[in-house]
Amino acid sequence: MASRVMVALRVRATPARAFEAFTAEIGQWWTPNDLFAFTPREPGVLSFEGRERLIETRAGGKVFEIGRVTVWEPGVRLVVGWRQASFTPEMATEVEVTFEPVGEETRVTVTHTGWDSVPRAHVAKHGFPETAFLARHGEWWRALLGRLGEYVG
Amino acid sequence: MTAAARLDTTLAALADPHRRQVIELLRERPRRAGDLARAAGLTAPAMSRHLRALRQSGLVEETSPDFDARVRVYQLRPEPMVHLLRWLEETERLWTAQLAAFKAHVEKAG
Repeated sequence: MASRVMVALRVRATPARAFEAFTAEIGQWWTPNDLFAFTPREPGVLSFEGRERLIETRAGGKVFEIGRVTVWEPGVRLVVGWRQASFTPEMATEVEVTFEPVGEETRVTVTHTGWDSVPRAHVAKHGFPETAFLARHGEWWRALLGRLGEYVG
Repeated sequence: MTAAARLDTTLAALADPHRRQVIELLRERPRRAGDLARAAGLTAPAMSRHLRALRQSGLVEETSPDFDARVRVYQLRPEPMVHLLRWLEETERLWTAQLAAFKAHVEKAG
């Protein structure tokens, strides 16, 4: 039971090439994002250190460990821990990346999972209300839980 | 509290099945602590502990209905759930943007 975000797209490359680009070249395509800064300071460059861990290295040479690699299957699957500076110690999240051949292309799917505690029994799907202020209690909550349901599996 | 710590508190509060039952009951309407204890089949002290955890997480608040200031009822506050959803939505946006950058890189380097 976990809250989960899943994003997928296809790329024109083989799974092996996509995996290599995702890992060995992450520093070339990763775009620093204010919202998801790993540390409160200037963003650095991401890289996988061996097959051990994902790190961010800032201009001064300081290293922040984003997470340890737990699965490394070239061309197939990658799983790595994911921490941001704002997380409390208990807040462990994990990112899984899968690479599946689809004809000449590869479907790359990122699944970001966090906190094994979101209640599944309460996330039945319902429509989101047109106005957030539809009702103070029942309706708004049902809507929030429904929206949450899209992320929870 | 940071946004991340708030999320953590929300999820910790929701992790308990009795507390989720309280949330379900309060979704229908505000209720008194005694009614909640009876509905959940818990003793008053046990319910009191759960309500304290829910109050501290900000998921519920204690208030009085307009007609009688002496009566104390519990009702839901949506803000903590909004923070959780915002985190999920921001994470989805982040990965959508990063994967688009990844695709551009792979196909250019081809």
